[in-house]
Amino acid sequence: MNSLTIKQFIKLTFQTFCLLIVLALLNPVLAADARGQKLDNFKVNLSVDDATVIEVLRQIEEQTEFKFVYDRKVRRLNKTYDIAYNGVSLRSILELMAKDANLTFRRINHTISIDVKPEAPKRVVEVAFVTVAGTVTDEYGVPLAGASVAEKGTANGTITDFDGNFSIDVEEDAVLEVSYLGYKPQEVAVNGRTTVNIQLVQDATLLDDVVVVGYGTQRKSDVTGAIGSLKSESFNQGVVANPGQLLQGKIAGVNVTSVSGEPGAAQNIIIRGVGSLRSGTTPLFVVDGFVIDNSPTGVASNPLNFINPQDIASIDVLKDASSAAIYGARAANGVIVITTKKGRTGRTEMNLSMSTAMSTLANEMEVFSASEFREQVPAVGGTLFDAGANTDWQDELTRTGISKNVNFSLSGSSSDSFSYYVSTGLDDQEGIFNNSSLKRYSGRVNLTQKAIDGRFNVDLNLTASRTVNERPDTGALVTDMLQLNPTLPVYTNGAPTLLDERLNPIVRNRIYLDEANNNRILANIAPSLEIVKGLTYKLNLGVDYSTTNRDVQFIPYALLEGFEDGSLNTSTTTNTNTLVENTLTYTYAEGDHNFTLLAGHSYQETKFEQKVFELDGFADNGIEPRYQDQISTEVLPTTVNSVAFVNEQQSFFGRVNYAYMDKYLVTATMRADGSSKFGANNKYGYFPSVALGWNIIREDFMADNTLFSNLKLRASWGQTGNQDGIPSKVSLASYVDSKVENDTYPLNGTEVTLDDYPFGTVPVRTAYPDLKWEVSTQTNIGLDFGLFNGSFTGTLDYFNKVASDVVLFSNRIDPIQPTEKVWTNIPDLEIQNSGVELTLDYRGNFSEDFTYNIGGNISFTDNKVVNSQFEVITTGAAQGAGQTGATINGYINDEPIGTFYMKEFIGIGDDGLNQFTDVVPDGQSLDNDRTAVGSALPDVLYAFYMNFNYKNFDLGLNFNGVAGNKIYNHTAMSLFTKGQLSRNLNTTDFAVQFPNEDNSNSNEVSTRYLEDGGFLRLNNATLGYNLSPQSIGLGDWMNNIRFTLTGQNLFVITDYSGFDPEVNTGSTLDGIQTFGIDRFTYPTPRTLLVGLNVSF
Amino acid sequence: MKNRIIITIVAFCAMLNWNCTDLEEERLDESEFGGQAETISGAIAPAYGYISWTWRHTNYYGLQLIPSDEAMLPYRGGTDWFDGGKFLAAHAHTITPSNDLVGDAWNELTTNISRTLAAIEVLSPLADEGNQEALGALYEMKALRGYLNMLMLDSWGVVLRKESSDELSEVLRGQEAIDYIESELTSVVDVINTDRGPGRITQAAVWGFLARLHLNAAVYRDPYGTPSFTSEDMDSVIEYTDNIINSGNFSLSPEYFALFNDDNNSNPELIFALDQRGVLNREHSRWAYWSIAGSMFPRPEFTSADGTDGPAITSDFYQTWVDAYGDVDPAEADARFYQQNTIIPDAQLQDFEGRAQEVATETEDSYYCIAPNEFEMDRGILRGVQWGPRKGDDGAFLTCDGGVRIYPVQQRKGNGPDRDVGYVNHTLDVNFTNEGSLHNTGYRVSKYQFSRTSPNGNNFSSVDLVLMRLAEIYLMRAEAKLRNGDTGGALADVNTVRTSRTARPEQTPEALESIDLDVMLRERGFELYWEGFRRGDQIRFGTYEDTWTDKTDSDIFHRLFPIPQSAVDAASGIDGFLNQNEGY
Repeated sequence: MNSLTIKQFIKLTFQTFCLLIVLALLNPVLAADARGQKLDNFKVNLSVDDATVIEVLRQIEEQTEFKFVYDRKVRRLNKTYDIAYNGVSLRSILELMAKDANLTFRRINHTISIDVKPEAPKRVVEVAFVTVAGTVTDEYGVPLAGASVAEKGTANGTITDFDGNFSIDVEEDAVLEVSYLGYKPQEVAVNGRTTVNIQLVQDATLLDDVVVVGYGTQRKSDVTGAIGSLKSESFNQGVVANPGQLLQGKIAGVNVTSVSGEPGAAQNIIIRGVGSLRSGTTPLFVVDGFVIDNSPTGVASNPLNFINPQDIASIDVLKDASSAAIYGARAANGVIVITTKKGRTGRTEMNLSMSTAMSTLANEMEVFSASEFREQVPAVGGTLFDAGANTDWQDELTRTGISKNVNFSLSGSSSDSFSYYVSTGLDDQEGIFNNSSLKRYSGRVNLTQKAIDGRFNVDLNLTASRTVNERPDTGALVTDMLQLNPTLPVYTNGAPTLLDERLNPIVRNRIYLDEANNNRILANIAPSLEIVKGLTYKLNLGVDYSTTNRDVQFIPYALLEGFEDGSLNTSTTTNTNTLVENTLTYTYAEGDHNFTLLAGHSYQETKFEQKVFELDGFADNGIEPRYQDQISTEVLPTTVNSVAFVNEQQSFFGRVNYAYMDKYLVTATMRADGSSKFGANNKYGYFPSVALGWNIIREDFMADNTLFSNLKLRASWGQTGNQDGIPSKVSLASYVDSKVENDTYPLNGTEVTLDDYPFGTVPVRTAYPDLKWEVSTQTNIGLDFGLFNGSFTGTLDYFNKVASDVVLFSNRIDPIQPTEKVWTNIPDLEIQNSGVELTLDYRGNFSEDFTYNIGGNISFTDNKVVNSQFEVITTGAAQGAGQTGATINGYINDEPIGTFYMKEFIGIGDDGLNQFTDVVPDGQSLDNDRTAVGSALPDVLYAFYMNFNYKNFDLGLNFNGVAGNKIYNHTAMSLFTKGQLSRNLNTTDFAVQFPNEDNSNSNEVSTRYLEDGGFLRLNNATLGYNLSPQSIGLGDWMNNIRFTLTGQNLFVITDYSGFDPEVNTGSTLDGIQTFGIDRFTYPTPRTLLVGLNVSF
Repeated sequence: MKNRIIITIVAFCAMLNWNCTDLEEERLDESEFGGQAETISGAIAPAYGYISWTWRHTNYYGLQLIPSDEAMLPYRGGTDWFDGGKFLAAHAHTITPSNDLVGDAWNELTTNISRTLAAIEVLSPLADEGNQEALGALYEMKALRGYLNMLMLDSWGVVLRKESSDELSEVLRGQEAIDYIESELTSVVDVINTDRGPGRITQAAVWGFLARLHLNAAVYRDPYGTPSFTSEDMDSVIEYTDNIINSGNFSLSPEYFALFNDDNNSNPELIFALDQRGVLNREHSRWAYWSIAGSMFPRPEFTSADGTDGPAITSDFYQTWVDAYGDVDPAEADARFYQQNTIIPDAQLQDFEGRAQEVATETEDSYYCIAPNEFEMDRGILRGVQWGPRKGDDGAFLTCDGGVRIYPVQQRKGNGPDRDVGYVNHTLDVNFTNEGSLHNTGYRVSKYQFSRTSPNGNNFSSVDLVLMRLAEIYLMRAEAKLRNGDTGGALADVNTVRTSRTARPEQTPEALESIDLDVMLRERGFELYWEGFRRGDQIRFGTYEDTWTDKTDSDIFHRLFPIPQSAVDAASGIDGFLNQNEGY
């Protein structure tokens, strides 16, 4: 597929989605949904004389959607009523009858079951009926209490007891209709049996989803903000190291990009566009109510690798300001709320899952083969150095990585008052490079216990994990595998071939090590007490403690200059993050009014300590430097660098939720966030938000519609902050007494050693008491809809997000200031993001056995910088000889963040040298000829999925893609030049693109290396088979056996010539973030995984 | 029930109190003040210590060197020294406000001024209390601030006057700027120390600054016009230079290159030079190694000390030597042009000359042997094939009995046809064409010694960086006399300098018989080449708009550099505070 067809595909997808929305909006027939409304809200008109219970109920059935189920006992009641009421609530009628006739009413959705209370006289059962008894259970065999069992076509019915048992008198050929909230109803023919056991299957479409919001949960129908929710069933499958990978492509407006293909690689997670110039664009992560600090942990890859993805039950992404503002000064980049699994009431189970995966290099770059190389080097005027071998270095330096994962969990509840989830997991991921792996050993305990009639509740979440991350020298390996002369043999006489002035990569793998060991405990305990009815106090105490030891070493290697001494860089990093939170929640419901009030105080302290030791000069004695004794010498001194800071944050927050008749919803929040990072004049920031929701579906005029099952309009406005852009201490002045660099001088002229030199007092920073957080102001308008009984659902959101008070380490205003750069909030500069997000989902079936679910999401984001006083803010420094100071990204007014800023390459001139567009027409190629030539951030982000279920088989396909972005191929710029080819260094045919190019032509930063970054990826595909344990005689032992086969990154359609279009390995300049730079990136693997899941 | 509520509230408040914080930020890995420094030395050491950084090759030094006709730095072999095109634009006078060379020079210079201000703010109250040491240091800082501001005026036409760190700087131009600098310098010239040189600013240095200020005042007053040199200014130049010359404290160095050697600190010609003692990493050799071939290892003691194939002199500048000495090779005619230190035995030279000059045709005799610490590369302007140590496959220098082998230097850099097979052969023509930018092109300048205390050529240098020496003082006096019509006096001063380089008598330049402005400019070029004066000289003598290799621009507004875009942008919040220079 070429790029044209990708674009057509995107267009087609979009048009289909649009058509569906239009269809939905045009349909005037709208239906009411009784679910979720209270009985009080249903008004009936009754006018009966001497009517039996049954007759009254029939009248009610005619006027409402409710259906009554009851057994014959009720039918035989001879009590009669005279009623004449207009507009009376259903509840009061039923209460009256219950009292009078000694009945019990029990409502489940649209069904109200009636039972005669025990003291009622018993009557003999008629012979024409058989008594059928049985148990109703869920798919795991757990009894379902209160399930409704009715005889089809009659009003005869009953409800299961606490153990799921029921007994009903029915005709011999009757069909039982069994239903239970949240489960698919089932019909079972009695066929004369007296015992019928029924297993119900969960129906995801019917669940009124609970959404986790800050400091609480809400029913989805009550939510007024823009929140994307993902349950564990929908997570990305396969070899997954961290939460970001679980949700890639799953939620509209959330752009998850792994920076490389390394196991557990760092990620850029961008929610609704970039809102900062600096690197603080990571969303806030909240795990079970604990706010994770985004400080580095000393692990060079993703700090969230410590969380076992299999423990996660759901991820909710708070996208708009209304939902995120409760997290105040840290929420401007959105909030990702992670909820781990809990024990479920009435269910005890053990679960064992195991998987093995094989990863291989997904896409080899087409460098010249040895035979092509033998032709190409002389063809470009070089003198071929032919060592006679035919080596595919990409093949030699990559491997099939084997990853293993074992996970075991126990969960359940012993009674109503205690539930637990305990798990332990081992994840061992191997990368496709040697010396590249991620091992995680993790354990989790989640407990909930209740006391005092359920009014005192304690939640405890504890996870401990050890992550061992070994990383290769990626830059060098990638360079080697692409650049090395393919005629060189890997080994000569059994030893790695000695290369001229460079390390054989086989030797590098042997002498190089970069290993980080991270131990991390995240624990919180949250007791809560309902003080009086509706008023709950909750204390949340948590700690996140992490220590990392990292060793980067070179074993001494005598055969190459610069590697003889060996070196060790060893660092220890400790993060301590403690949280104390007090919240009071008050819920109040009276008639049509429903209030929830939340007030809280939060105190969080994060401490970071790091020591880095640099040691050089080790003996070549077979002992690794990290285990060796070493003595600092004058020539090779040992240095220690320490960094430590502590940040405090204190917050006061409140929220009001008000719902009127469940139709009109209002949410208002306010958070006052104080942080020690902010300057003395701005210790506290205030972050308000307000949101309105309108459940249109519940309006009277929608009562007759049969098309819509859900229709809700949302609108919100709010402000959030971003303090990630502000490092510690930058608001305070600091001076250092220094003898290094340019700070000292031999004032006497007689100094001999450094001891004689004076200390100079030098300002490190000037005070900036006005420094404060970045502010993001966001407006959101959204529509949630469900059609055809909820089989087709969707969400459409428009947002406009404006970041102001943008923090920059900016040039001093007065040139005569002690430091060249100062921390400041840039006045007037704004970063604007606006966009549209659409999510659609359809569930259907071809037959009873064959169901499917398709859907997807697409988001369009428009990002730009406005009112910048800077002509250009440059970043993304190119690296390599002659490239000092060359920038790749530049941020300019009215252009997006991530804009590429460089000269436009128009070909090779007659002189064999580069030609660039002369933007400022002065006949010279100068830096004023640089222009904005495209953005690294995609305009369009899309993903779609297809899930099929056929009997015991299921197949899920997840695609994701981006369009409208560019990638800067720094690898090609650095390696694939004609000059290098002429010097016996391998290249792709990129180097010989221009036959008249001179070998000494420069590889200056320009659009020559800028490529289209759009792609469509089959991110993962999973084929599953559920084996019934009964069928193999293990029915007594097991509940479920499931086999899966998952493929990750099965194909990518892209025009990009590098390993993979999903990259960002650029180097920042003054902390300003870069995007879309591909420099010696760890290549992306393709992975096949076989998994087995057994539950007991 | 009531009790329970109260207990809960009390518990809640206790919890709140326990955690309530004033959010004062705690410092763990730093303190507000260091506490190890002595007040006075702590104040002035950073100001002095920064000057060599300001004058770094990629900062102020490069900005003076490359735009003049004495040097150029092409994009070496398409791989080295492009750096965003900053050196190409600097040479062609097409510098834009975003040029990094201008930005870096401005930033370091202004930071240096800020450090003098910080010192002045510490020293002033102590001096007011009668602390004599503080008072002396204060004079030096004022003089240093004046000097640095004069560099601002010279390159950007502005002076940033700032007396207190709480105030905004005042931007001065033209006569106002000259007056400010003059008043600052004259306020200390009679009271400042006379004996702390050359590492610190002395009375002689301040006289020298004042002489420079007056010599250039016509240009500073009206940077874009034809300079009108007043006799008052010239008289002042003569007065101040007289003061120095007549003080008897300084004398011209018989060996020109001794001025730039490891031990130059004690050379009596130096008036102000940045003291480097081989103790600090940042004591740099960049003025030494920048121009030298990347394949050259001038210190056989250290395998990592090499050159960078940086700037070369232009063929135009070389031509001024040829024009002056006609048939005689300038190396023979002028001791300042060249000093041969590689003593290549005839046998080796014959071997070298009798064959194709390629590594492949070398015989076993193509080297000579010398103790590593006795090897000294040639100095001055380097032409043709260079000789130096050579590395073997193991990265170590090839040795011979008791020493290292000195070969013709093998070309190991770039993508040129000579790479690996040929020798480093510095050719006259260096330009921006493909051929002209190869790694070997252009005659190189080895004025500064590769310090013997530097393990890598970059750092731990003991060579003081010379900012003012007696020869310049003579030449300033000569120029002032010439401009005032005293041709005889001017000729005498010029000849004093020329004839003083007597260490190698056969190469001592002969006295001139006549002098005019063209000869005056040429003589300054011969004496002061690559010391940061040429750009100012060309502006003063009106040749800055001339044409030379790869430089055709004649825009008079390019005499001054643009104020960096970053500085203009950052200051743009204050209307009219820092306006871009005309023509940019």
